[in-house]
Amino acid sequence: MKNTYVIKRIFYSLFVFVVVITLNFFIPRIGVVDPAERYYPPQGNMSEIEYEIIKQVTRKQYGFDVSTWQQYLNYLQGLSKGDLGKSFRPGSPAVIDLIVERLPWTLVLSVSTLLIGLIIGVMFGVVAATKRGRWQDTLLLNASTIMVAIPGFFIALMLSFYLGFELEVFPAYTDSNMVANFDWSLAAIRTVAYNAALPVLSMAVGSIIGHAQGTRNAVIAVTNEDFILTAKAKGLKQNTIRYKHILRNSMLPIVTSLGMSISGLIGGQVVIEQVFNWNGMGTLFLEANNTNDYPLMMGIMLLLSGFTILAILITDLVYVLLDPRVTVGDKR
Amino acid sequence: MKKKLPIHHGMARGIEKRLKNTGLFIKRIWSHKQGKIGLTMVGFLVVVAIFAPYIAPFNPYDVAERTTKGLPPSSKHLLGTTINTGQDIFSMLVYGTRVSLIVGVTSGICIAIVGSILGVAAGYIGGLVDSLVMRIVDIMLVIPTLPLVIVLTNVLGRDYWTIILIFVALGWTGLARTIRSLVLVLKNSNYVKAAELAGASRWHIMIRHILPGTSHLLIMSTALSSAGIMVAEAGLSFLGLGDPTAISWGKMLAEAQRGGALLFGAWWWILTPGIGIFLAVFSFMRLGIVMEEIMNPRMQRSSGVYKVFKNLNSAYVEEVFNSMDDYAKIGVTPAFEHGKGEVTHETGLKA
Amino acid sequence: MKQVLKLRNLKVIFPTNYGIIRAVESVDLDIHERECVALVGESGCGKSVTSQSVMRLIDSPPAITRVDTLEFDGRDIKDYTPKQMQEIRGKEMGMIFQDALTSLNPVMTCGKQIDEMYIRHQGLSKEEAREHTVKALELVGLPEPRKRANSFPHELSGGMRQRVLLAMAFACLPKLLIADEPTTALDVTIQAQVLSMLRNMQRGCGTALLLVTHDLSVVSAIADTVYVMYAGKIVEKAPVRELFATPHHPYTVGLMSAVPRLSDTERVFTQIPGTVPHPTQKPSGCYFHPRCQYATAECKKEMPPLKTIDSNREVRCHHPLSIRGVSHA
Repeated sequence: MKNTYVIKRIFYSLFVFVVVITLNFFIPRIGVVDPAERYYPPQGNMSEIEYEIIKQVTRKQYGFDVSTWQQYLNYLQGLSKGDLGKSFRPGSPAVIDLIVERLPWTLVLSVSTLLIGLIIGVMFGVVAATKRGRWQDTLLLNASTIMVAIPGFFIALMLSFYLGFELEVFPAYTDSNMVANFDWSLAAIRTVAYNAALPVLSMAVGSIIGHAQGTRNAVIAVTNEDFILTAKAKGLKQNTIRYKHILRNSMLPIVTSLGMSISGLIGGQVVIEQVFNWNGMGTLFLEANNTNDYPLMMGIMLLLSGFTILAILITDLVYVLLDPRVTVGDKR
Repeated sequence: MKKKLPIHHGMARGIEKRLKNTGLFIKRIWSHKQGKIGLTMVGFLVVVAIFAPYIAPFNPYDVAERTTKGLPPSSKHLLGTTINTGQDIFSMLVYGTRVSLIVGVTSGICIAIVGSILGVAAGYIGGLVDSLVMRIVDIMLVIPTLPLVIVLTNVLGRDYWTIILIFVALGWTGLARTIRSLVLVLKNSNYVKAAELAGASRWHIMIRHILPGTSHLLIMSTALSSAGIMVAEAGLSFLGLGDPTAISWGKMLAEAQRGGALLFGAWWWILTPGIGIFLAVFSFMRLGIVMEEIMNPRMQRSSGVYKVFKNLNSAYVEEVFNSMDDYAKIGVTPAFEHGKGEVTHETGLKA
Repeated sequence: MKQVLKLRNLKVIFPTNYGIIRAVESVDLDIHERECVALVGESGCGKSVTSQSVMRLIDSPPAITRVDTLEFDGRDIKDYTPKQMQEIRGKEMGMIFQDALTSLNPVMTCGKQIDEMYIRHQGLSKEEAREHTVKALELVGLPEPRKRANSFPHELSGGMRQRVLLAMAFACLPKLLIADEPTTALDVTIQAQVLSMLRNMQRGCGTALLLVTHDLSVVSAIADTVYVMYAGKIVEKAPVRELFATPHHPYTVGLMSAVPRLSDTERVFTQIPGTVPHPTQKPSGCYFHPRCQYATAECKKEMPPLKTIDSNREVRCHHPLSIRGVSHA
């Protein structure tokens, strides 16, 4: 039964991915996407015929010379080989190359935010739940009340203003040579950490509080369950109850919320990268948007959606491992 | 023979009761300490938004009213002027309220409408409608929202009505999912079954019986999604992708950052739009959370019992314990300490 | 007979925003070796709080507990530290709860949850513990115990789960077992099986049993002594036969006439009018007087004390039934 569920989940994720690919192809085609008209506006001394020829050539170069249906098939065919199309940038570089260049820099931020947020958040949440009603709990309650109302980019701005400009503890803007000079040496890694401190911090604040609040509620909910009373009546030691019974069960909602939080993390990062001028996918995406570089935008979107689908799938499968009750039907 | 039930009579009474309930609901929010804060703050923002031209000393949209660039705060310019354009920052702040509230509340209301229609349809009709709606929800869940909003504004345009449309198109999923699961419960309730047996049409049941059952949830979600949309709008404007003609708090922040507020130490220029966003989002969120607590007391996040414990009057507790003894009640021993003035009668909490 | 539990003057309150909930008001309880004592009352009368207080499972906050004597097996455990209590719980005092599904950890196999008892209290290794678990499951009549030990709670039926709980509770042969509504959630036929299993295990292991229930048919089946509780106070205490033969308290009579009997010629249920008073606002005088058809002015004014009627019976009533004529003559 469990295997059927897992296989069903995987196939469902694939189905969702295919739909996302299709959306990705069609959304930009709602607007003007003819690269010819976008990039080669008629010059003053150019004749009608000359311009028409240039348009034809550009269209052919970007594969816009066939029917939309044929374009879609070509797009799918390209995707199967890992080809996300060509960017509208001068020299029409492959979208995949542009993304791969920036991907590690984005991952540095998101993975460290995720880890910091998860680890500190869960620890904080457990403490708040066990010290219910004391200052730790009150602190978390007040912090979450206030922090949910502050946009991440504003936290980022204040951090870069105070820690960056006023105190000069960390750079307010990312060092523009950081990417170019990176050579895996210890000094280079240190530079990255130094520059990443503020972006990660400003994203981690919300992440920590979100996970802490979720963990606290989960732990308290489990603590009130009957089986914890049973465990106490069995005379089990405090630590056994806490780790074997309470935490294990509290992990379930935490795992689910982790998968859900990935999408929000990606969205927030676009703005944070912009604040600190960080050379990641978020910045690349905004560059693409400002130049109407649809193939690049959609390539990034596809990758981000793919990551999210994968993250949700993985958390779902982990859930199945953790909770023996999941056998049929969707848990969420 | 079956007797026909006087449906319409009951219905009229039902509506009357519901209106009364809504009044009671607002009263209950007002009697909640946090709810009072939320309602007051929302009221304040609405007043500021409506009377912006009378509150703001200058019209920031009027190019003629721009003055010297980069003035520090003074009695004439409460928050100084911008470094790049010479607009009065305080006036921009006041006018920014309009954008936040209009975009946030309009989207919030539209999300409630769309979300409830699709949620009720999915839950009550079920079958193909249900799976279609839920598949769409699943797909929207995996596409990162902000990048998608950016793509759509790029394709569809950037004026505020388009932006609201996009927010609504992407924002209804969570609500629809919640409403759907509530409808699945309501669908099996006795009063809906009774209406079905009485021969009421599907439409009638959906509109008259099921939709009202979700009304409290809708009010709450409107407040919460308005707050969420305000954050999203601020982010979008901050990226310079909001309506280019409007003055919004997010755009003010972006201009402050690009205009060199950081370099010149003009902290008021950065701090105040941020506080504006915070106040707007905070008050709507408070309101939503208070509504949630009122509707579902188990959701209460504050540890009320622990607070009671801290303020407990030990003398009163002793009285209670002593009054339990078998012979203490014979004869009229006073249950409460008189004269000390620190015991409130019912709860024994220190005043 | 040796006394296993001696509880004197237990009081438990729950302070809330809406007033102080007086859950348990000055309850005395005596349980002897091999005895089965039943604590009977409607829901909300404080019987579960009383039984959990015996194991000191009521946390503060949310509750405040006072007790004069809490003597278990000759030791006063009133002031034991949490560590000392952990040694006693499970090993010398066991507990079974109403709903076996929620009382078992959903993500742990049933066997593992029983293993924990042996590992914790007898210091056995995992493998040894499992051998004991399988034996214990066999003893409570679970088919294929070795296989079932690896099942998760949701994979078993209600009756099987209750047996798992029984096996767990009897694992360390406790001196006192507290069963809180052990059969309420089960089908009638399974109820009888579990009940007789409980009775057999109790007799076989020489355990004293405190049975908390609202079901008088369960009481009549296995209890020796009965305490009837109302609104936090004990209103009547009697040996089971005498209680059923001559109930003295009007509330006890009300409870009994609410149980349908085949022998009744008229098929009419008598029910007690009204409901249990709200625990923050209890009436003056006798708590039962607003629902009592025999109430007098005295009842409204004064809480009657718990009077000893015969050598082994106690009743809290100004005008006890059956001897009513005598008291009024």
